[in-house]
Amino acid sequence: MELLTVKDLSFQYPDAIAPAVSDVSFSVARGEFVALCGATGSGKSTLLRLLKRELSPRGERQGEIAFDGVPIDALDDRTAASGIGFVMQHPEQQIVTDKVWHELAFGLENLGVERGIIHRRVAEMASYFGIESWFDRSVSELSGGQKQLLNLASVMVMQPRLLLLDEPTAQLDPIAASNFINTLKKLNRELSLTIVIIEHRLEEIIPRCDRLLVLDGGRLIDADAPRAIAARLPADARLMRAMPTAVRLFRALHPHPDTAACCPLDEREGREFIESTYDNAIRSLPEVSAAASERAPVALEIDQAFFRYERTAPDVLRGLSLTVYQGESVCILGGNGSGKTTTLGLLCGLRHPYSGRVSVLGKPIKQYRGQSLYRGCVALLPQDVQTVFLCNTVREELKGTEQAQASLPYSLEHLYDRHPYDLSGGEQQLVALAKVLATEPEILLLDEPTKGLDAYAKLRMIDVIRALQSKGMTVVTVTHDVEFAAACADRCAMFFRGEITSIAPPRAFFSENSFYTTAASRITRGHFDGAVTVEDAVALCLQNKLREGAL
Amino acid sequence: MRPFEDYNPFVHLVYFVSCSAIVMFFLQPVTVVLSLLGALSLFFVRRRLAEGRSHLYSLALFLVMALLNPLFNHNGATVLLLINHNPITLEAVVYGIFAAAMLLAVLYWFRTFSQIMSSDKLLYLFGGVSPKLALILSMALRYVPLFAKQAKRVNDTQRAMGLYREENLIDNTRAGARVFSVMVTWGLENGIVTADSMSARGYGIGKRTQYTLYRFYRTDVLLLCTTLLLLSIVVVGGALGALDMQWYPTLRLPRTDALALVTYVAYALLSFLPTILEIGERARWNCLQSRI
Repeated sequence: MELLTVKDLSFQYPDAIAPAVSDVSFSVARGEFVALCGATGSGKSTLLRLLKRELSPRGERQGEIAFDGVPIDALDDRTAASGIGFVMQHPEQQIVTDKVWHELAFGLENLGVERGIIHRRVAEMASYFGIESWFDRSVSELSGGQKQLLNLASVMVMQPRLLLLDEPTAQLDPIAASNFINTLKKLNRELSLTIVIIEHRLEEIIPRCDRLLVLDGGRLIDADAPRAIAARLPADARLMRAMPTAVRLFRALHPHPDTAACCPLDEREGREFIESTYDNAIRSLPEVSAAASERAPVALEIDQAFFRYERTAPDVLRGLSLTVYQGESVCILGGNGSGKTTTLGLLCGLRHPYSGRVSVLGKPIKQYRGQSLYRGCVALLPQDVQTVFLCNTVREELKGTEQAQASLPYSLEHLYDRHPYDLSGGEQQLVALAKVLATEPEILLLDEPTKGLDAYAKLRMIDVIRALQSKGMTVVTVTHDVEFAAACADRCAMFFRGEITSIAPPRAFFSENSFYTTAASRITRGHFDGAVTVEDAVALCLQNKLREGAL
Repeated sequence: MRPFEDYNPFVHLVYFVSCSAIVMFFLQPVTVVLSLLGALSLFFVRRRLAEGRSHLYSLALFLVMALLNPLFNHNGATVLLLINHNPITLEAVVYGIFAAAMLLAVLYWFRTFSQIMSSDKLLYLFGGVSPKLALILSMALRYVPLFAKQAKRVNDTQRAMGLYREENLIDNTRAGARVFSVMVTWGLENGIVTADSMSARGYGIGKRTQYTLYRFYRTDVLLLCTTLLLLSIVVVGGALGALDMQWYPTLRLPRTDALALVTYVAYALLSFLPTILEIGERARWNCLQSRI
């Protein structure tokens, strides 16, 4: 039984040259969990918004969209509002009211539901989602993950039959993201809720969804079960970079599209595939000679720093010591609230420890008078890159920095006439980075540079950081993204409760960690030693022999 | 018996408005003293000696107010002394003291009122008048702190990028203005997302209802009725002249006949009602605890 049918749908924005969506036809059965994927600008978001009447963009639309057999334009207001739920990317901005309980009730209030019924539904939903313990709180006290869960719950109280989600986990840390996807799966399995979700990070979603719709340039180019698509996608397709590690590993070893192959989707299947296919006579790659950076002069030093935000608040940093050498790239990993971002604040002089010392390029940070610290010395790219922009166009934003622009490893000229807020996440990141680099710093501090980026933009970010580093820049990155850290760090540091618990080059760091590590390391653990990236694992597989009886 | 704070916000509103309105309308020594004692006892029963310094400010305010009246008001028959040929009269001194005490009483009623009235309760009250207004207030309560937080973030980022170049007031003001202007853009940009989120959840398709966490329990009705009863006794007494007071030209003492006494007792009960509830509730807990 089809709940949603889309037939020959085309859509063009006013003033656009080409249609954003063209000739898309598909249907979604009741209880199906569908993921919509494609590169930035492939028309995913436009398509998803067309499915929700209230959010439908203005422009020229052709074709049919039917919800439960009724064209969506003919639905009555109440069914359109409550039958189709929509969750967006930014957790903060979707929240309307100031209290959790009020937010939960908001949708039902709009429908004019009687107080007693609202009370029952809100109570039911709060219990199901485990919101009871923060029911009375202000929304400003919640973490990002809690906010997004609240957004989901406040759509679910309206009892939608179809749930549409536009990159709901892009702004969340990996643990909250995984938690959110699991909640969706639970809703899908227990309540047979029909879900259509857009995701950049397919790692979590692919093993859990029933069908994958692939969009490219506004056209639906493929729609099938994720395993089949993973097996037949061209190995060099842009989408391949977003695929789970197990898929990328398998496809790197089987580059020819082959629909018959049984492609592994998650770590467990990946491990089974590796262990059953390759033997492990050669267990590890030759050691790369230890980085000479240990002998380079010190760029940054934090010596037993203690920091708290208020006198009565608990310590955020407890005796933190960290030394970064010039020309080195250090990644700081760790859970939420472990003091990672605060450390960056300390390093760029925005915060000051109440005990302990911070020095930059061998000089105590307090001796940098006025703004001298921010001229050719330290620069910070914050987590929320929108805070970098002050002007109405990229051109104005980058005015007077032409010289610095010329030395960048990428060009931004095609974006000059656009408003910084209208750019995609990846483009915003690059423009903000260009503006930050215009001060010609020797030390670059990055806070979550891959947050909200698609796989392609992430790879480009890695290239950019590598290129900057090769010019001698020191880079300190705070990130949740272990794959990113494995690819672009010289050393990785693990933060826990305001101090560093371990610090080592990525290969040693990730192969000693058993939970907090890359998917490639989890797949090959025990079979190979020290393989932390897909490239490592592929190289090891190719050096080893195929097992007898294996394909 | 529940702690006073937990009653329905509407009961609180009626209570605090009646208490302070009476003392403002019927400014005479007995009501002022009762009201002040009631307000202070409620405050100290709830808060003990916390916020110690703020009481000193209140005392200073009281002294200033009490002193100002005789300095500027020269009515009254009994001249105590002359300053620059201006008479300082006994009547003006006494009136000044009681007027200041009245203000102090109202101040303490409203301090307790604002401690009890959380934003939720305030919205509940506004929602009774206009659900739309309540929603707008709720959104404002969310957006104002959000805006401030984002402004601080932008400021931090810009500082780390060297926007505030020198320790120079003009440059800093200019930079501050730029941050403010980008915050306006940010606000509008986010407003679009919020508006989308609202219309996606059916805002504006029909008449809204209002969901609240507060209900009227039996005890709420009881407290409300008691308040209204005591209020009407005092108002009727006052209307019949029981609370009349003459300050100028010569002081005349408040009335002490039967009608006046009944009115005083009613106002005393009204003033001490929440204190009695608080103490009673605590005694009851002690009693229950000892049985456990």
